[in-house]
Amino acid sequence: MNAIQKILLNQIDLSDETFSVNFMPDLQGLRSSIKAIGFIQPVLLRKEKGHYRIVCGFRRIWVLKELGVFEIPAMVFEEKEPSDLELFVLSLQENLTTRGFNAVEKAIALQKLIHRFQLEHSEVVKTYLHLFSLEPNEKILNTYLSLAEMEDETKRFVLREEVSRSNIRLLAQMSSEDRMALLPFLSLLKLGENRLREMLTLLSEISRRERISIKEVIDRPDIQGILSQKELTPIQRTERVKRVLMNLRHPKMKQMEEEFDRKRKAFNLPVGVSVHHAPYFEGKGLKMEFQFESTEEYRTILNSLSELVDKKEFKKLIESS
Amino acid sequence: MKRKEMLSFKIEKIYLDVKAETNWVTRHILKSLPDVPVERVEDKKNLIKQFLPITDPIGMGKRNLLITHFYGRRLKPCPGTSRHICCGYYVINPITNCPMDCSYCVLQGYLNNPFLTLYSNWDDLLQEVESFLAIGRPPLSRLGTGELSDSLALESIFPISQFLVPFFAKKNAILELKTKSTEVEHLLSLDHRGRTVVSWSLNPPQVIEEEERGTASLEERIDAAKRCQEAGYPLGFHFDPMIDHEGWEKGYEGLINFLFSRIDPKRVVWISLGGFRYPAQLKGIAEERFPKTRIFLGELFPGGDGKFRYFKTIRVEMYRKMVKWLKQVSPDLFIYLCMESQEVWKEVFGWSPQNSQQLNQLFEERVKKFIKIPVEYRPALLGG
Repeated sequence: MNAIQKILLNQIDLSDETFSVNFMPDLQGLRSSIKAIGFIQPVLLRKEKGHYRIVCGFRRIWVLKELGVFEIPAMVFEEKEPSDLELFVLSLQENLTTRGFNAVEKAIALQKLIHRFQLEHSEVVKTYLHLFSLEPNEKILNTYLSLAEMEDETKRFVLREEVSRSNIRLLAQMSSEDRMALLPFLSLLKLGENRLREMLTLLSEISRRERISIKEVIDRPDIQGILSQKELTPIQRTERVKRVLMNLRHPKMKQMEEEFDRKRKAFNLPVGVSVHHAPYFEGKGLKMEFQFESTEEYRTILNSLSELVDKKEFKKLIESS
Repeated sequence: MKRKEMLSFKIEKIYLDVKAETNWVTRHILKSLPDVPVERVEDKKNLIKQFLPITDPIGMGKRNLLITHFYGRRLKPCPGTSRHICCGYYVINPITNCPMDCSYCVLQGYLNNPFLTLYSNWDDLLQEVESFLAIGRPPLSRLGTGELSDSLALESIFPISQFLVPFFAKKNAILELKTKSTEVEHLLSLDHRGRTVVSWSLNPPQVIEEEERGTASLEERIDAAKRCQEAGYPLGFHFDPMIDHEGWEKGYEGLINFLFSRIDPKRVVWISLGGFRYPAQLKGIAEERFPKTRIFLGELFPGGDGKFRYFKTIRVEMYRKMVKWLKQVSPDLFIYLCMESQEVWKEVFGWSPQNSQQLNQLFEERVKKFIKIPVEYRPALLGG
């Protein structure tokens, strides 16, 4: 590597992204910094026939070009030595010391190690995952490789919503078309990590059970009807959509719940009293709950409950439970 | 009926625990697999640790045999729960893990050691069984090797049946060898004296094709059962796990008709029914290993024991229909439910054993009547 030298920007091939792992770079901070204190750290370039390739400093070069700068201080590697892989690892190390990588950039870097630099999965697991603060596990590598294959829209969603690895794996199981249909749907709901997992699992399982696409599930009129109700908060919308999906996923359970409700409504329960079946109808018997604030209320409830004994609808519910 | 390829699996490598190196069982295994490379292992815990981070340690484990010693108890009561009626079965574990690869297999989430593992301190195991049977067990206690592996899958490597069947022939107990294989050759000439039940887990061909990778086809299993029937063995059949799938009624009814077109129901000592059930941790593991599996798409909910089961109405409907079809074949068939509540028993059969002890007694009566070999009950030798 030669000492720092001035290189004309028009001699640098900006289209060559061999060593870049940038995704959704935030250039605003860098732009303000360069405007305020100027350009401090030289970029790393590799000399090629008649031009230069960027090794480190893509974002700085983009900003300088935007600011109309003609030349840039750089350290230049000569042709061929070191190898592309060595330079790529150097650029990763350099970036790690200055900014770190987001999840998609990690995915792009790992994908390049496998596909462009032809490293074995086992070597990447053993030697490179720790660079990105990831445990040396092939499943983790595969998760990031699947993220690298996704559409930019999904990648942006993953970054914006800080989607977990387990949820990335769920997204990876879907077709590109389904993911694209899913993104606007998800943006209308209020989903944390667990709720997102629940929603993705429900959609995927309904789609596979019914042998229809996820898009077809989302496009159902009952779901679209909920999504179009502007007066609902995202949390309310999420709850209602989830209820519809649960019923689609568990049709026999839904049928039993409806039957139970019908029987329960056939006799008038006193106010403040509720009757429950065993969880998932597994097991016999009913559970009754009531609440009261005074002895008067307590007495009223007890009187009403004792009257239930003679109601044939109540007996029916007990017999069927 | 569609045939699958004959059961076959390949052991790619043998890991030999140095502590098991000089054992006669080890020598027998190595002789059976002369072309398989062997690596000596000083620290098996470290070996296991090395393989856990790979993408599919379970799949890898099925192709790699670990020969080692087991120092704990290998004979245990079948794990049941207080909420369910259990049949009082005991399990013996000479092997852990299985070369077959069923999508629903609970071992995927159960075993900490992914290797196909054969414990070479075989004499200790026989001693353990001997001691167990000596201490005043009820006559005709049932013990089986099919809990943590397929009972016959490794017969070509180490023919366990050749040791266990004659051993049990002299005992006041019943051995069950439960399999999805056709590995019965070793059994046919053995003097079993009716004390060994050979049983098969069965599912319709579609389920076998889709969910039971590496197992024998239905036709092959029934052919093997027929050979055992001809060799005088009492037979058992386990419709477990029953899978709720599109066309299940046609599938299971066809299966029963096909089975009894070849097998004499009078030679069938017991038949179990059990709906697919799984512990929570299995789903993630199995879906990752078998992305196309549809077994988790049923309506399954957690029960009091933490296991997911089909919605009760689904289970009861499946069991009732199976009982109806089986009773049409022969009203004398002994059918029981595996790990179900009294309530489900009542809904299916119209009655239920009072408890697990009563079911155990029913088994005893069934076995006595069935094998028609005088049973000499030896009372407790060592107390207990």
